[in-house]
Amino acid sequence: MSQTDDGTDVRLADGIDHQVAMVMDLNKCIGCQTCTIACKTNWTDGGGREYMYWNNVETKPGSGYPRDWEEMGGGWDEDGEERTPGELQSKEEYGRAWEFNHEQVMYEGSDEPLRPMEQPDWGPNFDEDEGAGEYPNSYYFYLPRICNHCTHPSCVEACPRSALYKREEDGIVLVDQDRCRGYRYCVEGCPYKKVYYNAMKKTSEKCIFCYPRIEGEGPEGEVLPPSCAEDCPPQLRLVGYLDDEEGPIHKLVNEHGVAVRLHPEYRTEPNVYYIPPFAPPQHSESGESIEAERIPRSYLEELFGPDVHEALNTIERERAKVERGEESEVMEMLTTTDTADQYRLEVFD
Amino acid sequence: MDRKPTLLAALLAIGLVVTTLVVPALVSARPAYEIPVANVDNSTTLDTVDGEGWDEAPSAGVSLSSSGAAVPGGDESTIDEVRVASARTDERLYIRLSWADPTRDTSADDVRQFADAVAVQVPVNESARPPIAMGSTDNRVNVWYWNGLNVSQELLAGGPGTTTVLSDSNLESNATYQDGRWHVVLSRPLDDVSDNRTSFSAEQDVDVAVAVWNGSSMERSGAKATSEWHYLALGPGPQGPPYETILWLVAGLGIVFTTLVTIEGVRRTRGE
Repeated sequence: MSQTDDGTDVRLADGIDHQVAMVMDLNKCIGCQTCTIACKTNWTDGGGREYMYWNNVETKPGSGYPRDWEEMGGGWDEDGEERTPGELQSKEEYGRAWEFNHEQVMYEGSDEPLRPMEQPDWGPNFDEDEGAGEYPNSYYFYLPRICNHCTHPSCVEACPRSALYKREEDGIVLVDQDRCRGYRYCVEGCPYKKVYYNAMKKTSEKCIFCYPRIEGEGPEGEVLPPSCAEDCPPQLRLVGYLDDEEGPIHKLVNEHGVAVRLHPEYRTEPNVYYIPPFAPPQHSESGESIEAERIPRSYLEELFGPDVHEALNTIERERAKVERGEESEVMEMLTTTDTADQYRLEVFD
Repeated sequence: MDRKPTLLAALLAIGLVVTTLVVPALVSARPAYEIPVANVDNSTTLDTVDGEGWDEAPSAGVSLSSSGAAVPGGDESTIDEVRVASARTDERLYIRLSWADPTRDTSADDVRQFADAVAVQVPVNESARPPIAMGSTDNRVNVWYWNGLNVSQELLAGGPGTTTVLSDSNLESNATYQDGRWHVVLSRPLDDVSDNRTSFSAEQDVDVAVAVWNGSSMERSGAKATSEWHYLALGPGPQGPPYETILWLVAGLGIVFTTLVTIEGVRRTRGE
């Protein structure tokens, strides 16, 4: 626990100097999967990683990736002391990498449309845009997900060999590939299902928060935000440190309370936070807007916990301020196009 | 003189000799926890699970139970017994393990797939008995590990969760699955002189424990069936047969004496 100048408590894991964190504004996500591809081309392009999406974007309400991950257990009990057992999902439930008829279409002159060679019946993002609700009040939104680099990570606790650990300097959760023996307790122990088993290497792997990029290990020696953030067309991600008082993450999470955790009831204390989605109001049969929220609050509470109400109320107030021509620090942080404000990664030595 | 008692005594004496010679061979002559080690000249007859050398090596039944390790499934192991035989040549120590497992699990290609496996644990210091659960920091163990992916590894451990693969291993393995049973031979040079490796002087008994994993029950890590400490009878030890012969002889004499006294007593009571 560290206390900031304004008296807000920022809980960091024991032995961690600082904690990297991300805020994702769900109102900006267009479901284009550019983040997914940015991550895949960087880290999971082959070698037993074909089925892995360290970053994925799923439609909510929906089954997500892997299928029904929210029903597979993991995380901590109500007191946050005992781990609750989780389950392993088969590769089918993640969605296999389908074989496509590239060869026939590209080189053999086939007139067939480009498509999977087999009839796919499940895959990542398979229930895209289905959502819930009935016309004219159906609803859905997109939920990008990476490893949450939790403050109280149950994957780390699950490993009997201490192969997973939280990096001292910035709280990034990593798998030591030399220690890992492929037991997969971390895979079942993570309630977000963000640790993946590599069947070729027989070890588990996960999102590394693009640590070589934030360390400036690239060819230019520049400090860069994670690929998923930098490549996002609508720039919905803010990246920095939870304990950087001047940064937008600390302000949005700790001061204004408008960025909330996904499934806080898992008690792993994620460090990826979400600005909950607003949707247009409901329509009447005749197409008139009516005073009713389209995305049920009860559903948002199921995803983001009870804090989502206060977050949505605050955002509504802040939006109204802007509409009246007043200033709003919250809305400014959420709409800035200045990358120096979006990505604050060089504030600590 | 009545010849009946003499005849009876003679029959009893013959019975005693027969009992002394035959019974020890029929019942187990082996002390509990002993894994006998056969001396075999030709190492090639031990390299494979069905090599002729194994005909000379009697196997011992070793009971297994859940390890109770603090991992999910640590109390739910499925394999109850493994048969263990051992043999040595002048250079190598061989251990042959065999256990019933109706499912042959030799793939870990899916997230939910785990391979069958077996391991043998010996103390790094052959004179010390380490804690059974992977030893401790100051009393470490060597582990010979094989799994259904045909991976065999020599490991060093100093407590649960500390196994580390030893490089430059001379561990060799051979395995088959037949009629619902795995048969695995593991062998290593007796005197593998390098740091952190057990050196078998072959002059004293050495503790040994066994673990078996059933892949289809998702057993891995501490979710395994384990034995208590047994010992490889490498040393001279108490020589089983002569020791037992004396015991059986004493018991037999006791029985004959008691029978004769009873008969004499009955005769006297009848006033013969």
